[in-house]
Amino acid sequence: MNFNQFEQIRHLLPDDRFMLCYSGYVSEDLLDAIGLTLKVRLNEHVEDKKKVKQIFSIFVELMQNLIRYGLEGPKGVTIKDEDHSGFGLVMVVEETDGFISLISGNYIKSEAVPAMQARLSKVQGKSDEELRALLKDQIRKPTEETSKGASLGLTEIARRSAKPIETSFVQSDDRHHFFMMKAFV
Amino acid sequence: MSNEFNLPASSRTPEVSLNFDTGALTLSGECYPEDASQFFGSLNQALDQHFSSAKNLSANISLIYFNSSSARALMELMDKLEDKAKAGSDISVVWSCDEDDDVTQEFVEDLLSDYSAMHLKVDLIKSE
Repeated sequence: MNFNQFEQIRHLLPDDRFMLCYSGYVSEDLLDAIGLTLKVRLNEHVEDKKKVKQIFSIFVELMQNLIRYGLEGPKGVTIKDEDHSGFGLVMVVEETDGFISLISGNYIKSEAVPAMQARLSKVQGKSDEELRALLKDQIRKPTEETSKGASLGLTEIARRSAKPIETSFVQSDDRHHFFMMKAFV
Repeated sequence: MSNEFNLPASSRTPEVSLNFDTGALTLSGECYPEDASQFFGSLNQALDQHFSSAKNLSANISLIYFNSSSARALMELMDKLEDKAKAGSDISVVWSCDEDDDVTQEFVEDLLSDYSAMHLKVDLIKSE
């Protein structure tokens, strides 16, 4: 990576708005540190304290998803246990329409895409009341073996998002997809 | 020496204290530990110790924020207390919610609506 490439990355990121961006390995220690920094900055920048709570809550759930499920992807370099690489991309950015969006992206195995889509279909297109009922229902259910409690996290993200969450899957190679999710406050 | 179980607060876990003499349990702070079942496991053990010789418990839960995996652990804690209440213990829970966080308020109200043997109260508090 030379300075030109590095500067291009910087160039892609908005610098005139509230913004936090992290890409790479994620861990619980990092969530702790970035979470605190985000909270301090949000409290300085966002007047509506309700919004600060919502943003922080969604941020924690997104980061914990990356820690648990984010794979290094097609060109991973440190993989020992491929299923636990804790790798991803997260961004909190103030949009020009006044919303703050929280976006996460991580590689998943292609064969995991249908299960992920099935989990998403339970929360997408649902009203606040339906999501509230779903949260109450899911907390009583035993944790799905493959999801480590993630279904509850997804529902919480959808419930706290001010607009319907958006998701996208992009195929990266024959074994991996890049999964993106966006929530709004 | 006081007869207590104590966990100091960390940046991601609440301060916990359980007084075995008075049966006063408090959880206060934020709760999004790396491993919720491990964190709540130690509290569970302390509660088992408490109920081995005492019957009553008065809990004050004031968590400004808790994540989804802690929510499930909190439900299991409430289930345990409800069972004790059904078995004849006098259990009261006052759960304080941040008034700025409607989603958590709803969640706590929905969670507590499943219980009838404990004395329950939800308080709204202003944080910060």
